[in-house]
Amino acid sequence: MLEIRVHGLGGQGAVTLVTWVARAGYAQGLHVQASYFFAAERRGSPVKAFLRISEEAIFVRSQVYSPDLLLVMNRDQVPVALEEGISPDGRFLINGGEELAHRLASEYGRDVYSVDATGIAIDLGLEIDGMPMVNLPLFGAVARQSGAASLEVAMEVISPIADKTGRPEAYRSAVTRGFEEVTRATPT
Amino acid sequence: MRVLETGNHFVALAVRSAGVEVVPAYPITPQTQVIEKIADLIAEGEMEAEYIPVESEHSACAALISASLTGVRAFSATASHGLVYMHEMLHYAAGIRVPVVMANINRALGPGWNIWCDHQDAISQRDTGWLQVFVSSHQEIVDTVIQAFLVTENRDVLLPMMVNLDAFVLSHTYMDAEVPSPEEVKRYLPPYRPRWRLDTRLPVTHGSVVYPVDFSETRESMKEGQENAREIIREAAKGYEEMFGRWHGDLVEEYRVEDARHLILAMGSAAAECRVAVDSLREEGHSVGLLRVRFFRPFPVEEIRRLCQDRDDLLVMDRNYSYGLSGALYSEVKGVLYGRTNIPVRNLIMGLGGRDVTHQLIERMAVKAWKGELDDITWADSHSTKSHEITKEMLGRFEEMLD
Repeated sequence: MLEIRVHGLGGQGAVTLVTWVARAGYAQGLHVQASYFFAAERRGSPVKAFLRISEEAIFVRSQVYSPDLLLVMNRDQVPVALEEGISPDGRFLINGGEELAHRLASEYGRDVYSVDATGIAIDLGLEIDGMPMVNLPLFGAVARQSGAASLEVAMEVISPIADKTGRPEAYRSAVTRGFEEVTRATPT
Repeated sequence: MRVLETGNHFVALAVRSAGVEVVPAYPITPQTQVIEKIADLIAEGEMEAEYIPVESEHSACAALISASLTGVRAFSATASHGLVYMHEMLHYAAGIRVPVVMANINRALGPGWNIWCDHQDAISQRDTGWLQVFVSSHQEIVDTVIQAFLVTENRDVLLPMMVNLDAFVLSHTYMDAEVPSPEEVKRYLPPYRPRWRLDTRLPVTHGSVVYPVDFSETRESMKEGQENAREIIREAAKGYEEMFGRWHGDLVEEYRVEDARHLILAMGSAAAECRVAVDSLREEGHSVGLLRVRFFRPFPVEEIRRLCQDRDDLLVMDRNYSYGLSGALYSEVKGVLYGRTNIPVRNLIMGLGGRDVTHQLIERMAVKAWKGELDDITWADSHSTKSHEITKEMLGRFEEMLD
């Protein structure tokens, strides 16, 4: 069973992101479970989103404490996210540039995977109410880094959504860039 | 049709497949998605039903009762404070014998204000006369909503049914499940045919004054309805399995109980988590099984007597508390076993107000229980934190200031 946990802020689209990954798993005929927890129902407050993908029926109902992939959408949440736990072989992915990734890799003594989802979203002009739609590139990044979905499957999920907007190509290219632009920083 | 949806949306899809004709409802977190989806289905012409927006839950239940009395299949949904605000009308619905179904999305009662899961809302409606079932998966939501109408509309039952599903853990979580089409469901659940209905062509009064000379008989008849429901529930589950190939248990669901020395009893989504705990405890060599209590009313008296007495002990998990006594499932289990066995029965209070119920904690508590290290009633996940200590300290200072 693949387990993912995402830490984000209200408005960044963490919940939507895990439902996209769930759809990708579901499209491959797998059992999925996407859930979330937030404290206050408002923008900017911390949100945790959870995902399980399994070949077998899923009975576990609790939150994900030992994820195979841990994604942090906002750098301020890195300490909280790591403290809450990650599987010993888990992959740690952040929304951020390579410089930040290298700094965190040294600070925490572990590999840090990163993609500048904020940069990609701004680059493509993808914003809602002034907030960059970071969950689009991060969907691509999570799909690949967790092994949940190929780029083709990710496109199958995002295309019907993209086609309903005025910017379908920008949506697709955000996901593609997220899929392709993740780099790994190792501790120095 | 297999789909990926939230538990709440699965309620709505099952309601459509069940051919519900009237839905009065008032929105409340975490139930809102249920009635939003139903309103959408009706607006888009995908469901033929009357949606009645009302100004409160008390009115929602009143409209639910009235709609049903005109001879149509009616459904509503609520949660938490909405459910307890309906309390008077819940008694009314059972007393006037309407076969309605209502989804209750189990949520804590405030204050402290809390939108997350526990069973306090449903448990505090225990004595209203409603049938109460607790589900543990998305597939079970769908299948139970459909079965619920077959049970309540049975003329030997004619009591309303509350389908309980856990807030967020089930209601807002996306999972995949199968939804039978309205055509398929029709073969299992025929259109509702009331014995009588409110009709101006044949005016009658129903639900008016009943003098002491007749009252006990009306209440004994409700008791009979609940007693009869046991067999109807078993038949409904069996018939559903034959037609759709899915089984979630009837009044209870047994999991690895055959040879088990220890049994865990639980309700709702926490029982699914218990199943994971049972597997992992079995791997460590413990002889343990799970008895998932689906129906809290009617209570599975025979099942619990048959399945529980020849064990080493029982561990009963409650996501509720009856203040001044114990968890509600615990006291019921002990009550039906009285005089039949002397095995230890212990109570775990867990998962109140959305505290995450993990199989790891269940496993640790079970092992402690079997070693005799637990009190009869253990608040398994309650512990004082630094912020609680700070609050207490502040309270002390407040007192000094007032003096």
